Amino acid sequence: MKKTVKNILVIAMVTLVTLVGVTSCKSSGKMTKKEYKARVEQAMTDLTAIIDGTTEWSCDEQQARLDKIKEVDFSKKNPEIVEMIDRAQSVVTACKEEMARIAEEQRIAEERRLREMEEMNKPKTSIDEYLNRIAGARDVNAANSLIREALGLFSSPDVPVLILINKYGDYDRPTTAEQYLNYVKDQKKAGAKVNNIKMENGKITELELIIKK
Amino acid sequence: MKKILFALAFAFFAMTGYQSFAQEPELSPERKHDIDSLALEKVRDLSKYVKIVGSKDTPWSEANRVIDRAEELFAPDAEIGVSSLAKTKIEYYKVRQYLERLMRLNYDRVEIDWYKIQYVSDLQRQPDGTYVGVITVFQTFKGYDAEGRLVYQDTTKKDITVYVKRKETQIGGRLIGFWDVMLGDMRVKETALK
Repeated sequence: MKKTVKNILVIAMVTLVTLVGVTSCKSSGKMTKKEYKARVEQAMTDLTAIIDGTTEWSCDEQQARLDKIKEVDFSKKNPEIVEMIDRAQSVVTACKEEMARIAEEQRIAEERRLREMEEMNKPKTSIDEYLNRIAGARDVNAANSLIREALGLFSSPDVPVLILINKYGDYDRPTTAEQYLNYVKDQKKAGAKVNNIKMENGKITELELIIKK
Repeated sequence: MKKILFALAFAFFAMTGYQSFAQEPELSPERKHDIDSLALEKVRDLSKYVKIVGSKDTPWSEANRVIDRAEELFAPDAEIGVSSLAKTKIEYYKVRQYLERLMRLNYDRVEIDWYKIQYVSDLQRQPDGTYVGVITVFQTFKGYDAEGRLVYQDTTKKDITVYVKRKETQIGGRLIGFWDVMLGDMRVKETALK
């Protein structure tokens, strides 16, 4: 019985020493042959996937994988891996450039979308066009119909209309959208053009015109 | 002593007059030209309004709206002279009264045209900063009966005094300086059959 206990203790000691030895080897940064072999295999698999483009990793994930592989010096025992690392790096660099190009395209597309949305919010027919059409209307009814349509672009018929008579900041007496549109109808002349428009929620809240010279 | 007092009083009024004149800087010729044109344009606007109100084709609601706009062109209490070849006396009416009479004239068709609209006296700056000038217009009037026959016509020369004053108003939280053109009395100078 005593002998059996002694044998168990010896086995336990040997196991403990072995385990401690393995752990200490790892913490010192040295690699066992088995570990190195595993790293080589993993590196070959990862690099092949990156080079062949069969991985679903993102460019950044590929770069992170590549950086991890580069931590091990394969140049002495596996120079082919070093060569594969170079090829994989080229693939990852190209991948990052492609991603940057796609991101730039998306940015331009987004800018275009926002511009288009802004355009959609702008009056379909410009005020200048309405002024010309009202001035040239064949009769009062046609002009009134255009005025009603044009007033839809304004937040209210009482929106202020300022009329610059020159570029020095001299204004005519201010009027309102409704009165100015009727004035154009009465005079049968669009003597001023849009100089500035203030909008809110897609509607004109202030219109500044300048006399045509 | 009287002479000294007179000289002092003259100097005082001359100086105060000069000060109010000097409150605003003199306009550049280019800006002055733009203001001349603005005032002239108001008289042209009035000519269109008179034509619309006088026309028998103008719907009643439109004529009334135009009368409101035309009245706004004038200074309060401004009067318009009316002459006739049949009468020597020139009648003067308030602007609204004149336009309402024009709308109701007893003809089946009326043609009114203004031409030779021009300054006879350029806009001159007054001590209070107001610019005052006189614009002359020639008006041809033709009245037709139901058969389309011309039953009355004349040509009248009229002088309109114009006042242009710098004013300010608040719009959208901003102070906007503008030139307010006001038409004064419209005086008949001569009437002839033409």
